[in-house]
Amino acid sequence: MSDPRAATPTEIRKQGGARLVITWADGHSGTYAALYLRGSCPCAHCVDEVTGRRRVGPLQVVPDVELVKVSPVGNYAVQLDWSDGHRTGIYSFDYLRSICPCEICRPR
Amino acid sequence: MAVTERDVLDALRHIQDPDLKRDIVSLGFVRDVRVEGAVVRLEIRLTTPACPVKDQMQAEARRALEKLPGVREADVRMTSEVRGSAATDKTAIAGVKNLIAVGSGKGGVGKSTVAVNLALALSSSGARVGLLDADIYGPSLPIMMGLSQEGVQAVGERLIPPVAHGVRFLSMGFMAPGDQPLIWRGPMAHKALQQTLFGAEWGELDYLLIDLPPGTGDVHLTLVQSVALTGGVIVSTPQDVGLVISRKTLRMFQQTRVHLLGMVENMSYYLCPHCGERDDIFGHGGAEKAAASLDVPFLGAVPLDRRVREQADVGKPIVISDPESPAAVAYRDIAGKLAQQVSIRSFETPQVTIVEE
Repeated sequence: MSDPRAATPTEIRKQGGARLVITWADGHSGTYAALYLRGSCPCAHCVDEVTGRRRVGPLQVVPDVELVKVSPVGNYAVQLDWSDGHRTGIYSFDYLRSICPCEICRPR
Repeated sequence: MAVTERDVLDALRHIQDPDLKRDIVSLGFVRDVRVEGAVVRLEIRLTTPACPVKDQMQAEARRALEKLPGVREADVRMTSEVRGSAATDKTAIAGVKNLIAVGSGKGGVGKSTVAVNLALALSSSGARVGLLDADIYGPSLPIMMGLSQEGVQAVGERLIPPVAHGVRFLSMGFMAPGDQPLIWRGPMAHKALQQTLFGAEWGELDYLLIDLPPGTGDVHLTLVQSVALTGGVIVSTPQDVGLVISRKTLRMFQQTRVHLLGMVENMSYYLCPHCGERDDIFGHGGAEKAAASLDVPFLGAVPLDRRVREQADVGKPIVISDPESPAAVAYRDIAGKLAQQVSIRSFETPQVTIVEE
């Protein structure tokens, strides 16, 4: 990612509890479904700190999980609160861009 | 035929802010234009009182106006209003416009001495300045500021930072009883930082400088996660060893999206107190080279001068005690460049909006 704007969001829009829509400074935009985002939580509980293996993915969380709150973390990330009570995940902008689920970023 | 406000603005449109690279009219610096016959009065409101080109800009504006036909006299007042640059309001401290972290790769580079003198130099330019000592491993700032725990008052749960030499000051060390060393685990350091940042009445400040512990650790992480910093300054000595580690600090700033405002070279050269001769005992210029290779602004170099330490030890840092000394002049110059970088940043800080539907 050579363009620094690629990982700089201009708007983070929470659409109810169902999804997050992020618009990036380079014009790109991605829609993240709640279950996908909850299942991609980067915290030490969900990803084993030593092995790096994912312990909690989309299959380990309730399918109707909802996004409750989006809070900014410094200049570089957001913290997400979930309806299952989980809230330790700090999603950096770089990470969010790298897991963008849109068709351009994730070709089938 | 009398000049109009429009003529005045058109004449000033040719004057550029050298840092922002835009003309002072479109930047909105020109205020309160009044034409009274052959006299033009106006205000140029800069983004920092520490602006190094203030006098030059005033002279240029006056020249441009007096060239206008029908103008006999131009009264150009220079004022300033520091712009805030917090990325999101939620993580900023109420009333504080700019948060600047001062860090170093390792201990012993004189980071705290640089922090206190920069705070005093900014304050002497007319800015409202606060200084937070977050160096839990060796809090030396209280001595340099001549302040102790006893000076801290509290209103209810809120701490009131005491003032020395015009600068509001708190130390995380004040959160511990008496003169005990701070043997803190992460969560305690976290709590003390939160308390001194958000639990204190900092009031209205243009700049709040935060003196970080050396290296990269708990305090740094807590800081970058709790507030939107305007940016960071890295202090190093000319030696390469110091610089390799400074790069680590720099990388941590980059990973957490803290903008690098610049590097300062401390103990850059030795000034002999007897003959005034200069000696580059640590090899001068290392930080400047590193800053260039890392594409970070170089803010300046401070000489090694015995008076810097002596005066700091008795609570009168050199910017206050000997304002005409080479070190004090260097500090004022660096403070001006730092303020410029903060202004530049305030015009380019990306704004992230979080919308809830």
